[in-house]
Amino acid sequence: MSLMHRATSEIGAAPDEAWANELNDPGPPGHAAQRSLHDLLLRATRHQVWRLRHQLPGAGPADLEDLAQQAADDALVAVLGKLDTFEGRSRFSTWVYKFGLLHAGVAVRRQSWRHREVALPDTFDVSDGGVTPEAFAQGSELSRAVHAAISTDLTPHQRRVTLALLVEQVPIDVLAERLNTNRNALYKTLHDARQRLRACLMASGHLDDPSLRSTP
Amino acid sequence: MTDQNRCSPVEAALDDLLLDTDPYLSCDDCFDQLDTYVEQLLANPGHVDIPMQVHLKACGACAEEAEALMDLLSS
Repeated sequence: MSLMHRATSEIGAAPDEAWANELNDPGPPGHAAQRSLHDLLLRATRHQVWRLRHQLPGAGPADLEDLAQQAADDALVAVLGKLDTFEGRSRFSTWVYKFGLLHAGVAVRRQSWRHREVALPDTFDVSDGGVTPEAFAQGSELSRAVHAAISTDLTPHQRRVTLALLVEQVPIDVLAERLNTNRNALYKTLHDARQRLRACLMASGHLDDPSLRSTP
Repeated sequence: MTDQNRCSPVEAALDDLLLDTDPYLSCDDCFDQLDTYVEQLLANPGHVDIPMQVHLKACGACAEEAEALMDLLSS
């Protein structure tokens, strides 16, 4: 019995998810189940594409539908490849939705940045719409210390990723694609950079109350 | 009101740069837990999951997906 079969039987599959057990069937029931899965994914991708449509100002309804359909196709492949990892901790439809939302979000962000250059600055000298060097210069001593710590205490890779994500506001999926890496690796780099900045600023006395910036 | 509404752009940028992202949770682990987390949050708005909450505050893309899933399940 697969994990999915066990999970759905243990927690009790909702009526609209009963078809999920047929997904591995090689015959007509399996094909019908995959169509139902695609419909579910399309509900999620349409929802996400329309939520994020402000990022695609030139796109009309047909463009958005194309994007949603393509994202649903991609998500279908991803879900079918991960079926055995479903553990039944949530409803199957909720588990499926997150794949649709992920693929649609990535598709919208990539489409939005398709013709935009991704800046990978080593310093604050290159800035486009983010926090400018002038803004930092006009700020507090803390902001100047942060500026200095970014320049001297981060590795070149940490500096480029941090500035691209937090100053240039490049979406993490777009940056991952341009750097031939993935969201996971970039987030880890950003996490390490933030920890290093915090440690440097606490050591220099510029950040003396870490609890002020640590609440979720 | 968001943090960014309460302070200047520079202060908001500093908050973002200096955000404490411990306990660390990877984007992959966040994705693995997202469906369960959102269902628990919808069932109990006071549900606490510190690693997820820290990650979602620090990662805009994952946070966007969590909001969209909340939205979708609530619609």
